[in-house]
Amino acid sequence: MYLEMNTDLVIGMAGSGGDGVVSAGDSLMTALALAGYHAMLTKSFGPQIRGGESSFRLRVSTRPVLGPGGALDVAVALNWDDFLKFGAELALDGHSVVIYDSNTRVAPDQIPVAGVRPAEVVAVGIEAMAKETAGSEKAKNTVVLGLMAGWFGLAPQHIRAGLRKRFAKKGEDIMARNERAFEAGLAWAQANPLRTSRALAPVAAGTGAKMVADGNDLCAAASIFAGCQFFGGYPITPSSEVMQFLNREIWKFGGTMLQCEDEIAGIGACVGASFAGKKALTATSGPGMSLKTEMIGLATISELPLVIVNVQRGGPSTGIPTKSEQSDLFQAIFSAHGDAPRPVLAPMNVADTFPVTVEAFNIAERYQTPVIILSEQEIAQRKEAIDRPVTEGVHVEERRAPTEHELEHYVRYRITESGISPISHPGMKGGNYLASGIEHTESGAPTASGSIHAKMNEKRLRKLMPLKGRKDLFVTAGSDSAPLALIAWGSMSGLALEALELAGQAGLQLKILVPRLLFPVAEEVYGDFFGSVKRGLVVEQSHQGQLYRVIRMYVDVPVGLESFSRSGSNPISPAEIVERLRAQARAILEEREPVNQSE
Amino acid sequence: MPTTTLPPDAAIYQSKDYKSELKPIWCPGCGDFGVVQAIYRALAAVGRPPHEIAFVSGIGCSSRIPGYTTAYGFNTVHGRALPIAQGIKLANPDLLVLAAGGDGDGFSIGGGHVAHAIRRNIDLTYIIMDNQIYGLTKGQLSPTSPRGLRTASSTYGSMEDPVNPLLYVLGYGCRFVAQGTPADMAQLGALIEEGIRFPGFAFINVQSPCVTYGEPDTQLKALKQKMTSLQSVGHDPSDRIKAMDLAQHYGKQIYTGVLFRDPEPPPTFGAYVAERHAAMGPSPARDRILDVFKPAE
Repeated sequence: MYLEMNTDLVIGMAGSGGDGVVSAGDSLMTALALAGYHAMLTKSFGPQIRGGESSFRLRVSTRPVLGPGGALDVAVALNWDDFLKFGAELALDGHSVVIYDSNTRVAPDQIPVAGVRPAEVVAVGIEAMAKETAGSEKAKNTVVLGLMAGWFGLAPQHIRAGLRKRFAKKGEDIMARNERAFEAGLAWAQANPLRTSRALAPVAAGTGAKMVADGNDLCAAASIFAGCQFFGGYPITPSSEVMQFLNREIWKFGGTMLQCEDEIAGIGACVGASFAGKKALTATSGPGMSLKTEMIGLATISELPLVIVNVQRGGPSTGIPTKSEQSDLFQAIFSAHGDAPRPVLAPMNVADTFPVTVEAFNIAERYQTPVIILSEQEIAQRKEAIDRPVTEGVHVEERRAPTEHELEHYVRYRITESGISPISHPGMKGGNYLASGIEHTESGAPTASGSIHAKMNEKRLRKLMPLKGRKDLFVTAGSDSAPLALIAWGSMSGLALEALELAGQAGLQLKILVPRLLFPVAEEVYGDFFGSVKRGLVVEQSHQGQLYRVIRMYVDVPVGLESFSRSGSNPISPAEIVERLRAQARAILEEREPVNQSE
Repeated sequence: MPTTTLPPDAAIYQSKDYKSELKPIWCPGCGDFGVVQAIYRALAAVGRPPHEIAFVSGIGCSSRIPGYTTAYGFNTVHGRALPIAQGIKLANPDLLVLAAGGDGDGFSIGGGHVAHAIRRNIDLTYIIMDNQIYGLTKGQLSPTSPRGLRTASSTYGSMEDPVNPLLYVLGYGCRFVAQGTPADMAQLGALIEEGIRFPGFAFINVQSPCVTYGEPDTQLKALKQKMTSLQSVGHDPSDRIKAMDLAQHYGKQIYTGVLFRDPEPPPTFGAYVAERHAAMGPSPARDRILDVFKPAE
C-alpha cells in the first residue's frame, strides 16, 4: 500500500433532497474548522424550491484555500441520477476516488461516468448500514461522515461532538442511532482501506480553530463593525442573507433594519437614514440594482454616503438567479444618468469581504458618495473556514462634520480644495440646508446655471480622485519583471493565484494584479504593472469581458493583453488559464525572432 | 408615546422662523403658496426648532416646498418622498418628519409606497397638494384628473376614472385622514398641526389649485363655494365607516376637516423599535459581531 499524506483534498457529494447531503457538508466543515483546517464549501441545488437534487463540494487544506478546486479527489454518490445532474460541478478524473451506495446495483467497473477511469471505485452498503445501525435510511449521511473520518482522517473527534450536539435536541434515542451509524461507517473504512491512502495531513501543532462564514454574512458583520446603523432592503437571491443577518444582529448594536415594499424603497430608506446622519447599507442583486439606479444618482448629487452591495448573479433580467457571474461591472460604474460614476470595490473571497466592506463604508463616509461592493453569488453563498478577520487597529472613518465656526454661516456644498464639503444632518443646529436631486449652488439652492453645474460635476468627481492612488486596494503577486500578466477580480482572483503556482511549475514568468478597487480606474497602478508586460490575460466571468474593456477605456494597455472571459455558470480552471498563458509565452518568443532579424 | 410634544418655549417660534429666503418658482396665485403658509403656521404652533425638522418631497411644482422652509429639506426624486422620509424618522426618531408632494408624486409614480407607509405606521405627516393636473411638465393628465378631462396628453378627453386619495388611504387603514384647502387658511393650518401632533402616519389631502393648467371649477373661488366643513355637517371623526362614506364624494363634493382620527392609535413602528432596542440592552463592542462565526464545539 502506497502511503501519501494530502495537504489538500477536494470532496464532492450528491444525493436527493432527503439524503442530508447539505447537512453532511456542514458537519464536515464545522469539524474541520474546529480542527484548524482551512476549507471552502460550495453547495449546489436543483431549481426546485424544496426537495430535488443537492450537492456539496468541500475543499480542505492545511493552507488558505484559493479556489473550489478542479476534479474531485473524493466523490460520494448516494445515487447516480442526482450525482450526474451536477456535471462539471462534480467532475472526476483519473486521480479520483469514487464512493457510491451499492444499493444502486451498479458494478464498480460500470459506473456511469463517461470518458473517465477513476483511480479507485468503492461500492459501500451505505443505506444498508444506516438501516442496520440506526434503523432508518435517514442516517445515510451520518454513515458517510464515518467513512470520511475513517479513510481521510477528517477530524473524527469533532464530527462526533458535532453529531452529539446536533442530535441532542432530538432525544437520546436518535442521538444513539446516529452515533452507531457514524461508528459503523468509520469501522467499515478502517476494515477496508483504500488502495492509495488519501489521509489528510494534520495541521501544524498549536493551530487554533477557524471561524466559518459565507460572504453575505461576513459582509453584514463587517457593516456592523464599520458602524452601520441602518439597513433597508428587499429580498432577492442571492443577497437576502445580508438582510437576514442584520435582521438578527443590527438591533443588538443599536441599529435598525427595514424590509421595504420594493427595491426602490429599500435604498430610499437608506438615503433617508444617511441624510439623517447614520451609516446605511442596502444589499441586492442585478434586477434590484437596475431598480435602485435612480436613487444612486440621487445619493451622488446630494453627496450622501451610502454602501450598496450587489451580489452578482447571471443576467440580464432574471437571468440565472442561483449562479454566479461578473457581468454587472459596467452597471456598477456607469449606471444612473448624468456624470455620476461612483467608487466600486470587489472582494476576492469570503475573508476579503470583511476588509472590503469596511473600506466601502470608509470611502462612502470620507467622500460623501454612494459606494458599490460587487460581490458574487460564488463568494456570497459559499462557506469558508478562515482566520478571524483583523479588527484591532482597523480604521473606521466618520463623516466630516462642520465645525462650530463653519456652522455660523453654513454652506453645505462649499467647493473646497479636496471637493469634500463638511456635512451636517437634521438635528444639528445651524446646519440646516436643502439637499436635492436638482442641481444646486454651494448653499443648496436649486439652479439651472450651466457654469454652476459644471463646477459641481467637477467637484463631485474630483473628490474621488485620491482613490486612484490607493495601491493598497490592489493585490500583486509574481515577479516584477515578468513579461506575462494575469489580471483577475472577485472570485476569479483565487483561480488566478492558483494559476500562478501552476505557471511557476511550468517555467512561465508571470505576474498577477488583482484590483479590489475597480473604479475609479487607478491608471498609475495599472501603468506601473504593465511596465514589463508583453502579453497577458484579463480573466473574468462575463460574456463581454467587462473589466478588460473598462481598463482599456482609461489605460494604454500592452497590445498583447487579451480578454479571457466566459459567461457565468461556465467554470474557468487554473489549468486552462495556464494553457492560454503558455500560448502567449510562445507568441512572445516568436515575436522576438523577427525583431532580432530586423536589427 | 407621542413623539411630537410641545416644548415649554413653543411660543418663541413664529411663522416667519420657518420661512426661508428662497423665492418660490410657483405661478402667482398658485394654491401651494397657501399650503406653505399653513405649514409655517402649523410648525410655529407645534414649536419645534427648524433644525429638528426634516421636510422631504418628491418631484413636481409642489415638491419644491421644502426649500421654502428653514427646516432641513430634501427635494428627492419623483414619487419617493415616503421611503426617504421613513428612513430619516427611523434613523433619528427625535426628528419631526414631514413629507409632501403632488397627486402625481403620491398616487401615480409613488402610489405603491403609500399603502406601505400607512401599514408601517411610522410617525410622520404626509401632505398631498392635489391639483388634478401635471403642472411642472405643462399640463398632462394626473391620477386625480376627472374622466373626460382634456389635457396636453388627453386631447380627446381622459378615458380613466381618477384615483380617490381619501378612499385610498382610508382603505389601507390610515389612522389620520384630513382634507383642506388654501381657501380656508385657518382650518388648513390647524389640520396640518393636528396631523403633526397625531402619533403615527397622518395624511392630509389639500385641494391646491393650479392657476395655469387647472380647470375653472378647481380654482380658489370655486373651491370656496363647493367646500363643506365636516364639522358643519356634524361628522364624528372617530367613525371610520362614515368617513369612508363621505370620502366617496371626492371629486364632486369637497369635505374639509378631519375625516378620520383613530381615537385609540396603536403603537407606532418607532415605538416597537424603541422597545426592541431596550430589550436588547446596551450595545456590545462592534468587533464582537464576529463571535457569531465561531463554530459550535
